[in-house]
Amino acid sequence: MEFSELIRTGRAQAKLLRGPEAPPLRGTLCVTGHHLLLSPGPQATSDLWLLLLRRVDSIEKRVSGDSGTITLRCKDLRVLQLDIEGVEATLDIARSIEALSSLESVITSFPFFYRPKGLRLGDAWHFHPPERYYKRVARETNAWRLSEVNEDFSLCPSYPRAVIVPRAVDDDALARCARFRQGGRFPVLSYHHAPSGTVLLRSSQPLTGPQKRRCAEDEELLRAALAGARPGAWGFILDTRSAQAAKQARVTGGGTEAKAAYPGWKRLHRPLERGWPLQESFVRLVEACGDLEQSMDRWLSQLEACHWLAHVKEALSTACLAAQGVGREGACVLVHGAEGTDSTLLVTSLAQLILDPSSRTMAGFQELVEREWIQAGHPFQLRCAHSAFSHARPKHEAPTFLLFLDCVWQLGRQFPLSLEFGEGLLLALFEHAYASPFGTFLCSSEKERCLCEVRTRTHSLWSGLNQPKEQRKLRNPLYVPNPLAIWPSVELQTLRLWQGLFLRWIRPPEPSEVAWEKVWQIMTDKKTEGCEPTVSASEPRL
Amino acid sequence: MSLLRGLLGMELIGTSVRLFLDFQEKLASLDMRNLRFALKQEGHSRRDMFETLTRYAFPLAHSLPIFAFLNEEKFNVDGWTVYNPVEEYRRQGLPNHHWRITFINKCYELCDTYPALLVVPYRASDDDLRRVATFRSRNRIPVLSWIHPENKTVIVRCSQPLVGMSGKRNKDDEKYLDVIRETNRQISKLTIYDARPNVNAVANKATGGGYESDDAYHNAELFFLDIHNIHVMRESLKKVKDIVYPNVEESHWLSSLESTHWLEHIKLVLTGAIQVADKVSSGKSSVLVHCSDGWDRTAQLTSLAMLMLDSFYRSIEGFEILVQKEWISFGHKFASRIGHGDKNHADADRSPIFLQFIDCVWQMSKQFPTAFEFNERFLITILDHLYSCRFGTFLYNCESAREKQKVTERTVSLWSLINSNKDKFKNPFYTKEINRVLYPVASMRHLELWVNYYIRWNPRIKQQQPNPVEQRYVELLALRDEYIQRLEELQLASSAKLSDPSTSPSGPSQMMPHVHTHF
Repeated sequence: MEFSELIRTGRAQAKLLRGPEAPPLRGTLCVTGHHLLLSPGPQATSDLWLLLLRRVDSIEKRVSGDSGTITLRCKDLRVLQLDIEGVEATLDIARSIEALSSLESVITSFPFFYRPKGLRLGDAWHFHPPERYYKRVARETNAWRLSEVNEDFSLCPSYPRAVIVPRAVDDDALARCARFRQGGRFPVLSYHHAPSGTVLLRSSQPLTGPQKRRCAEDEELLRAALAGARPGAWGFILDTRSAQAAKQARVTGGGTEAKAAYPGWKRLHRPLERGWPLQESFVRLVEACGDLEQSMDRWLSQLEACHWLAHVKEALSTACLAAQGVGREGACVLVHGAEGTDSTLLVTSLAQLILDPSSRTMAGFQELVEREWIQAGHPFQLRCAHSAFSHARPKHEAPTFLLFLDCVWQLGRQFPLSLEFGEGLLLALFEHAYASPFGTFLCSSEKERCLCEVRTRTHSLWSGLNQPKEQRKLRNPLYVPNPLAIWPSVELQTLRLWQGLFLRWIRPPEPSEVAWEKVWQIMTDKKTEGCEPTVSASEPRL
Repeated sequence: MSLLRGLLGMELIGTSVRLFLDFQEKLASLDMRNLRFALKQEGHSRRDMFETLTRYAFPLAHSLPIFAFLNEEKFNVDGWTVYNPVEEYRRQGLPNHHWRITFINKCYELCDTYPALLVVPYRASDDDLRRVATFRSRNRIPVLSWIHPENKTVIVRCSQPLVGMSGKRNKDDEKYLDVIRETNRQISKLTIYDARPNVNAVANKATGGGYESDDAYHNAELFFLDIHNIHVMRESLKKVKDIVYPNVEESHWLSSLESTHWLEHIKLVLTGAIQVADKVSSGKSSVLVHCSDGWDRTAQLTSLAMLMLDSFYRSIEGFEILVQKEWISFGHKFASRIGHGDKNHADADRSPIFLQFIDCVWQMSKQFPTAFEFNERFLITILDHLYSCRFGTFLYNCESAREKQKVTERTVSLWSLINSNKDKFKNPFYTKEINRVLYPVASMRHLELWVNYYIRWNPRIKQQQPNPVEQRYVELLALRDEYIQRLEELQLASSAKLSDPSTSPSGPSQMMPHVHTHF
């Protein structure tokens, strides 16, 4: 397929409005295969303005007289307005953008063409594989092994090639476990809590079905997990569906672990919202934030009606529950919902952030996202196909990953010194998860990424983010390593709307950016001066 | 004796005491904290205990002195010297060609709720002032609060004119306002901000008050700012208290917060102050602010506008001066609004107007994290001692009453406590900026409930650790002092090395400000 077939018109004269704060730009508008360009003309001082077409979530056109207006709503929640000369040009450009922004093919997407200066292909792709995490676990305990049973993705299409499983369970048993779990997602290790020796596991629902089937190998696997922790250990299964929903799942072949079949394991239900209701909550919140006309005295009840903060609260408190089991009660915890690719990952990744100081560093957090979201098979391609503005009929969209980022932001707000990264990194991850020149968030699983040769043909977001010039935006200057668990307050009174994201393009950015810059300045001054005394201390004083 | 000392401490808290027959005594206190005492049944009689508590919690009702007069704390700084009106007006460049300082109110004869020293237009004689006073509620004539250092527009404060039902006019008042306008030749109209909602201003005519009509005041433009009166504010805060105490509202937190309207009131106060500040800073017009009596909403508006306009007031001492000037000296009725030592807690005069002002300041400090020298603890400390009666600072309704009671001689100032331990109250991210006008965003989306104040007694809201940022502040401040000291030593050492000290006498002193800008 040629992009040129989709481009109806080469160029047009246009004026771009970028929200209340930025001045409008005038120049020649141009549609290319992946970008919308606005070239301000030879005499202008400002640079070329560029928008990745994948970033466009919805497009609206209006014509009047001999000019037209296109409103672009982007996946990062920005709203842009283009005033274009010529009715024909407006319609052509709108059609081109529409066609190009909704291309579904992965291998013709921009990451396969993006070749930034200073980065080499394939550089950071081996930065965070599960093998690396296994090395750490192996240092801490002997009860687990790295299994390559999924080498060809035949057991579980959404798992990576290698997973961490109890040493006592062999690959044949794993194969049978996989058949007993939806999508083949048998229980694997998510996090080993060294201080207590207990583990956090994740999986999908067991396929008990209406006949209440059982699987000896699956039962053995969970028994081995307890035995690996310590003799006599107990565990609980945290089902992210309500008891009712879990029961109902039996009709369609799913279900939940029967008490009698898994001695030592208790079951808890903590229903978390997922799928369409979560997406709807996101859409309503963005609508409320963007509705500037509407009278402000209803803002708080509107905010409440979106339920977004209630979802944040539920996610955080469920993660706290899992973390409490592992960290404080010395229990093993298995988390699953139905597929085990959404709210399950939300809970396991947040629990790790609460418990594990190393996941709160810049590198550790990137590793956590890579391991617990990307490698663990969160279907980014489906969930993040559209953001809050799309009029298209939603299929698989859900802002689970955004909910995770919001929870992390709440943690960062409550523990301002304990995360090495700042709001900037979370914003970048949100942006790139929905549309990115990098390949990291492409596809829905490792298997698909292998088929598309993502690793060899695109750049990794991590190498993009870890360039020195990006650091000041992404790091938290106040970071001090905190060896303790960080238990957040989950009361609604302490949770806040993430203004930096939801009001990012509405609020005047200036004071907070100035403040951020100031904090950096103070901290760098402190560090450079921090060297002084040690130097002068070694010198004999006059 | 130890019991007595404990009870003197009780006075720090109380406003109302109720007796419960289930062996518990309960204190409902002003800062939204309820204390319960569980007493052993044998030994002391509960009724005795209760009566002693009531006596000392509400000393005025039992003709006992307020604790501040018994407090013998000593500090190495005297907070009473912080505010000197002459110095403050001199800092603003006053008196000048158009404005003079007058001592007409030296014995509080012109207006008993105003300070002794006032700044008025040069062209208005003392007789003019006396005639204007007859037309302003409680004689609170328009006087200068703040003057813009460059464009020379001013903020003037006063009370409502006594227009009444018949629509009375007063030539002297009209002329006086025109004189104020003419102190700046560039302006064609004086802007009057009436803090009240339009209807309330009209209703006030029935009790002899009112507002400046277009007919009478040709060269003025009047706007209403829609801020509600003390009763509405009191009820609103009471609703806030109801949703956080004794149990925090769970299921519909945000909509119940909305139904208190507290943040909406905060928004209106801030919006009003922004308008005042904008008019003055743009040089478009001088501004006259009043409400009914000019001691509640007026004080909020002038002080917040001054805080937005003048970076001096954003320092610790500057803020103390601002409070001392616009609130304490200009007769915000602290005694009536707070009810220090009085047992009648349902009094209609009570209202959290000053608390609301501090809340607005907190909202600003949230939006401009580097603009204020003080931190959240500073604001909370001020509020704690607004109720505590440990210091004389907020006692009594006006300067004349304070002078009569010799408050400055017989009590300690709150600023003594704060200024003798300033580091505790400092914001390490403070960047001193001259001439920057702060315009906070007064949209509901950007205002939040001050959880650390209103819900601070709820253990579930507290984080387990002591506030880490605060700890870090302290570390940073200590480091900074260490480096400044080290630098001074090094500079002294290097200047001593210079062969001829006379060639660079100002060496170290030139370098010091440079060093300061780093922090």
